[in-house]
Amino acid sequence: MSTVTATAEEIHPSLWRASQLARGRGRVVDTGYPALSAELPGGGWPVGALIDLLVQQAGVGELRLLRPALSAAGARPVALVQPPHTPDGLGLNYIGLSVENVLRVDTQKTADALWSAEQILRAGSCGALIFWSQYVKASSLRRLHLAAQSSETLFLMVRPLAAAQDSSPALLRLALRPSADGLTVDIVKRRGPSRAEPLSIPLQPTPVLLSRHARLSRRSFADVTARGVPTEVVS
Amino acid sequence: MLEKDKVVITDNAARAAGVRLGMRRGGVLTLSPQTELYERDAGREAASLRDVGIALMRFSPEVALLEEATVVVEVGASLRLFGGLLALCREAKAVLGTLGLTARISAAPTGQGAWLLAKFGNRRVLKLASLEQRLAQIPMISVPEVRPFGDWFTGLGCETIADIRRLPRAGLQRRCGEHLLDSLDRAFGTAPELFDWLELPPTFSARIEMPDRLEHADGAVFGAHRLIVQLCGWLCAKQLAVTGIRLLLEHERGRDAIEPTTIDIALGEPTWKEEHLVRLLKERLHRIELSAPVIALRLDASNVESAVPASDTLFPEPGGSKEDHARLLELLVARLGEENVLRPAPTADHRPEVANRWVPVTNKSKQEVLPQGLPRPTWMLNDPVRLLMRQHRPFYGSPLRMVSPGERIEAGWFDGELVTRDYFVAQAEDQSCYWIYRERASSRHAEEEQRWFLHGLFG
Repeated sequence: MSTVTATAEEIHPSLWRASQLARGRGRVVDTGYPALSAELPGGGWPVGALIDLLVQQAGVGELRLLRPALSAAGARPVALVQPPHTPDGLGLNYIGLSVENVLRVDTQKTADALWSAEQILRAGSCGALIFWSQYVKASSLRRLHLAAQSSETLFLMVRPLAAAQDSSPALLRLALRPSADGLTVDIVKRRGPSRAEPLSIPLQPTPVLLSRHARLSRRSFADVTARGVPTEVVS
Repeated sequence: MLEKDKVVITDNAARAAGVRLGMRRGGVLTLSPQTELYERDAGREAASLRDVGIALMRFSPEVALLEEATVVVEVGASLRLFGGLLALCREAKAVLGTLGLTARISAAPTGQGAWLLAKFGNRRVLKLASLEQRLAQIPMISVPEVRPFGDWFTGLGCETIADIRRLPRAGLQRRCGEHLLDSLDRAFGTAPELFDWLELPPTFSARIEMPDRLEHADGAVFGAHRLIVQLCGWLCAKQLAVTGIRLLLEHERGRDAIEPTTIDIALGEPTWKEEHLVRLLKERLHRIELSAPVIALRLDASNVESAVPASDTLFPEPGGSKEDHARLLELLVARLGEENVLRPAPTADHRPEVANRWVPVTNKSKQEVLPQGLPRPTWMLNDPVRLLMRQHRPFYGSPLRMVSPGERIEAGWFDGELVTRDYFVAQAEDQSCYWIYRERASSRHAEEEQRWFLHGLFG
């Protein structure tokens, strides 16, 4: 009767029970947020697979969420295909991305954008590819997912929140919403049990520069002035 | 196909219509008036033979053009490099296919032997003994030196090469001259062979005429591929790599001559790979609009340098090499244009829209030192959006609340694009943050309502 008691993953590594998270067979990149990593199969962003990020609009904090993973790409370039607005070089530098490795591809037509994304995945020379798109056909998604599987590239698609209703071949789908100190992350799809309550992920650096605790801000200001003055003058 | 007004080659359709070899022009037209007749052009045949020779130089620098539309390539030293004889023949066939030709490909230890075998199909032998067996069965008439004495040999009862070799050598030499015996000896490897190896021009420039007028640039891809195949053969033989090629599309000459359309392709990395060059050209041809129909193509190698052999690391890196990335960038630039494949190159300027400069990846300017800890949004709107005002507060979806001290930016008086702005980070009710600014009005417009703009988003 040992076969009955055997756990699912002992039968085959790609099997898992509906109540547990799949164990990542492929490589993963750490998300940099322990609370999020704990909820993802394999403990990080899967490499060589399609990941969907669903956002209401650009600028909710999606790049700050990805920053630890993008920094892990090291010297390999990070490609931004069809970004919704002009990315700001100084802004990317501010959140901690190295500006030398950023590659931006603008396209007029969706076909060109899909082609570029596929070429970048096939070449496999980029550490990460972030692809913004409004509407993509399911067949194109599958094609990109296939291209991603043959590469060692972290592949993320940023799509509108409404696309959560459509099916997608993505291994992982997260819905992102802004919150007071960062993001609320809803796991729409993952290899594992569905999670009802959203995750709250604090993001750094926060654009909110005024502290809500005025006293705290005043103290830090005092520290700065004390350091600015030469010590012999103070004593 | 006609030569001296006699049919020399017919296709299946013509044969079905009753056209036979040796017919005269008049006879053919009587049988089937719609037959297309072409005059054989020895000059063009020689030119295409030379094209084949140059293209085949990728396998070996020793290529000789022989009579009766045959090319001999000495591949003895290249067999291992190309993965064996079968793989080599397959590649050679593919090369010929792109040139729009078909060929019988044979291999033998002697050049003359290979020549004879190729006359009778695709036969590959590697050993002298098996070559002897093969050659023995070939009709004697296929040896060019035998043909003048064909009737006489037939009278003797000779049919194959083996029969001729059985005749006494001294008698043969006296009656037929020494060339016949020499030729056979060379084929069987008992006499040394000498070939006039094909000499290459010092610069590469090839031209082909299109069989028809091309209205769309996409149609030129096939012709361009033929030229690239020749270019690659030339590069391999010369051990060079190109860093720039130029494709000229020559237009139909109307009332006045039109300048040929020029496509210049500059490569970041020297290359001699056919596949990569063809992909680049394809993307470029896909983008251009023709002003007039194209009748001919010309390809020039404008910049060459000596090739550096690829170094294979024992453990390939997961992300591919730097060359792979350079090839990817070239491909993206070829299809999307230089202005759409960008890298950030922020400049030292206080105005955010000027500081946020993006340059084409091909631009190799040096990176400036960036200020650290300067709060800037991740996304910048190209055109700032004027915000509505509700109860004296800027409104974007919901009333905005300032969550940062102001940052005053006043610059640009030196180049006539003065900006006087106070930037703030504002938070909407759904907790998303925006980078907004208030235009500082001069005292004259002070009575007007303040003008707020949305300029950036924090991604």
